[in-house]
Amino acid sequence: MLKLRWFVAVFLAFSMIVTACGGAATAPTSTKPSDQNQPSPTKEETKPTEPPKPSILRIGRAGSEDTLNPGTAMLSEAWVTFELVYSALYMQKLDGSFTFDLATSVSASPDNKVLTYKIKPGVKFHDGVPLTAKDVVFSYDLYKAHDDFPYMNGYTKYFDKVEAPDDTTVVLTLTEPIPNIESQLGYCFILPEHIWSKVAEGKAATEFQNEGLIGSGPFKLVEYKQNEFTHLAKNPDYYGTVPKVDEVIFQKFENRDALVQAIKTGQIDMITEMPNTAVATLKNEKNIKLVTGAPLAPDITDIIFNQVSPENCPKDAKCAGHPALRDRIVRQALATATNKQELIDIVLLGLGAPGLTLIADGMGDWYNNTIKDYPFDIPQANKMLDDAGYKDVNNDGVREMPDGQKPLVFRLNWPSDSTVAPRLAELISKTWEQIGVKTQPQAVDPDALTAMCCPTFDYDILIWGWGSDPDPSFLLRVMQTSVIPDGTSETGYSNPEYDQLFDQQSKEMDPVNRKELVWKMQEIVFKDVVYLVPFYSQAVQAYRTDRFTGWITDQPKLALDHVINLLAVEPVK
Amino acid sequence: MKRLLYLLNRVKWALISIVFVIVLNFFLFRVLPGDPARAGVRDPRLTAQAQQALRQRFGLDKPVINCFESLNPLKLGGCLENPLDTQFFIYVGNLLRGELGTSYQSGRPVAEMLGQALLNTVLLIGIAQIISIFLGIVLGLVAAWKSRTIIDFSVLVASLVAWSLPTFWLGIMLLFSGSYWLNLPVMGKMTAGADFNNNLEMFLDLGRHLLLPTLTFTIVVMGEYMLVMRSTVLEVLSEDYILTAKAKGLNTFQILKDHALRNALLPMVTIIALNLGFTVAGAIQIETVFSWPGLGLAIFNSVGRRDYPVLQGAFLLIAFSVITANLIADLLYSYLDPRIQAEDNG
Repeated sequence: MLKLRWFVAVFLAFSMIVTACGGAATAPTSTKPSDQNQPSPTKEETKPTEPPKPSILRIGRAGSEDTLNPGTAMLSEAWVTFELVYSALYMQKLDGSFTFDLATSVSASPDNKVLTYKIKPGVKFHDGVPLTAKDVVFSYDLYKAHDDFPYMNGYTKYFDKVEAPDDTTVVLTLTEPIPNIESQLGYCFILPEHIWSKVAEGKAATEFQNEGLIGSGPFKLVEYKQNEFTHLAKNPDYYGTVPKVDEVIFQKFENRDALVQAIKTGQIDMITEMPNTAVATLKNEKNIKLVTGAPLAPDITDIIFNQVSPENCPKDAKCAGHPALRDRIVRQALATATNKQELIDIVLLGLGAPGLTLIADGMGDWYNNTIKDYPFDIPQANKMLDDAGYKDVNNDGVREMPDGQKPLVFRLNWPSDSTVAPRLAELISKTWEQIGVKTQPQAVDPDALTAMCCPTFDYDILIWGWGSDPDPSFLLRVMQTSVIPDGTSETGYSNPEYDQLFDQQSKEMDPVNRKELVWKMQEIVFKDVVYLVPFYSQAVQAYRTDRFTGWITDQPKLALDHVINLLAVEPVK
Repeated sequence: MKRLLYLLNRVKWALISIVFVIVLNFFLFRVLPGDPARAGVRDPRLTAQAQQALRQRFGLDKPVINCFESLNPLKLGGCLENPLDTQFFIYVGNLLRGELGTSYQSGRPVAEMLGQALLNTVLLIGIAQIISIFLGIVLGLVAAWKSRTIIDFSVLVASLVAWSLPTFWLGIMLLFSGSYWLNLPVMGKMTAGADFNNNLEMFLDLGRHLLLPTLTFTIVVMGEYMLVMRSTVLEVLSEDYILTAKAKGLNTFQILKDHALRNALLPMVTIIALNLGFTVAGAIQIETVFSWPGLGLAIFNSVGRRDYPVLQGAFLLIAFSVITANLIADLLYSYLDPRIQAEDNG
């Protein structure tokens, strides 16, 4: 009897511990910026007798910031927040072009190497300290000095020096003229020197958590819980149009079905992503508007052919690709035997357009829309292979190399976390089989895939993808010969003409001429089938019509969580 | 004395296991292919130079262990003058100082991240365990006593169904129905950015968020408890001493409470102890469905990014809780059944 009581006592003690933990767990442990730094007007104003309820826009998404430190952040969610909280000299519009944000004018020296910017006077950081040209200089110098800032350091690659002759003038000297300076400066956020100067040196800058997130943008941070939510409030002292919503909360969902359920039940007001399978149900939902369009930064799904030639094989690399894939005719035949429309209809449930090259239709003017796609034509593809000498000599349904030896059996791999690749692999294998090409499909852990891919080149065909950037240089870069050894080139493609055009476009200051070069490059890589791009998928987002109104959805790019949208929306009256 | 020896013996083995786990934990993640400086991010902007800077920041530029540069692929390296300046000894040194390192992904101290996550998991799992242990024992006991009746049959079927339900699927189903019919929140621990007027409101909000994940977990675990309890009690009830108790004229309640329950609890203690340890990790699925910011989710989010410090810390915590729970079960055994320590030392 005594022992049973003892057991019960253990039980009780355990439950008490749990209750105590519960109490502790609910205590606010997140970072709340101190009051003097960040007065939260919307909350404090609600204290008096007649509290006007603040309008809170809740946004659901499947990711969250990896860190609030712009130097070390790598995930796109962090960039969304930075654009809301910080200012930069430029900002991107929803048509893909850039406009002045903090800057009011720019003048360039004749050689385009010295740029003189005037910035808006009287701008203040969220803590009330004025923002001057010195903060701009400090920020750029900080980014430039830290090669352990993976992205920011890259944006300042061509900066020679930055000076502030007075409080509203920034003089930027470049090492060489670059045509896409807007897209670099658009992401060089202006940090407050009075906060960051204490952590500017060495490791301190990368270890700084920056959880106060003091910026000068239209929104300021109220509360941040990593991997849970980011709570922002409008900055009433913003130098531009003050947001019409009082607060914005980004919530991270680990489960996309829950995300869809949350907007259906009104727990959130807008979602930035969803599984394509949810589209049909949300379309018919009352009070929910589903919108599709080209994404702000298109995610490209691509089929990668191992083309690295023995002379370009990097040191220590295996370069064990199938020799047939180095033959352009084989790649063209594979492209001709790919039914892109079927892929769009089945894999994307119709929410996409046929793909051409890595420069997607969402890239605006940079996208070469004059390229004529390979029509889906099995007999033609068969003829191409026949003519090139790839014959099925042993009558097993699979063609052999022209010397009759190695059959056209390709390993086909994709990262195991990809949702589109398994279906895509199945479908392309089916049509390729009709031209006597066999695949060995297999999903692989993303990291293992990286190890196989580049610069090891121990694969035949991969299904993978790239994120992209407003400037086309970003993805055109990966097909240069010079990046084969460092792992940036996945294909091992090498074409001196292309390399030369790349260098030319990266120096061409005239936008019209540059566009011509970029279009030419697309034609080359399309003809060479460096990548086979099956489709460009659309962004699918949704918002509740009974909560907020004024969403901008008629622009070339769709991004409901973009700063331009969050400045435009207002509560439904 | 005998009891003390038994206790020391158990603690000794627990400590040895923990040391083993610490070593294994380190090498386990490093033999996996992959590079934390690239994992999860594919971006041409991430130049080789930037990757090298990241490796330096994470301390991955140092050899894994003396004379080995990396474990996958296995690469021999030069032997150092100071063999302690390797990733392994830095890791062990930090552990001895009570530091779990900083997350590659967020740059935050791992101890701080996991501490909060562990509290959240314990809250969720603790409540669910208490409810399921209680219900499991009571229902199992009743089913065994009323064996071969409709009650027994219902309990048996219910527990078999509950036990075999896929956790993920059950979670999604409850999420859909709970949010649709009862407007329960589908994610998180509390309403983000809510301004609570008092503690009661805060607890109610927490309770609403807890309801669905707790229910899912309770259903999944309870079935096992009911089944085990039922079968052990059935076995115990066929013992001679139960017949004796009946012959003595004791009433049903007394027989069940004093004679059947106590003897049937031994296997239950084993299962509960094992479950308590494993549930810290086993909550991964439930935490993912309900976006509950616990330890399981921390693991889930770190695996993809090869966030070694977080994974090492989390696995150490799990191993520690499994070992501790087992140790407690061993010690409880000796109280519940004195024969065990006699055998152990004999």
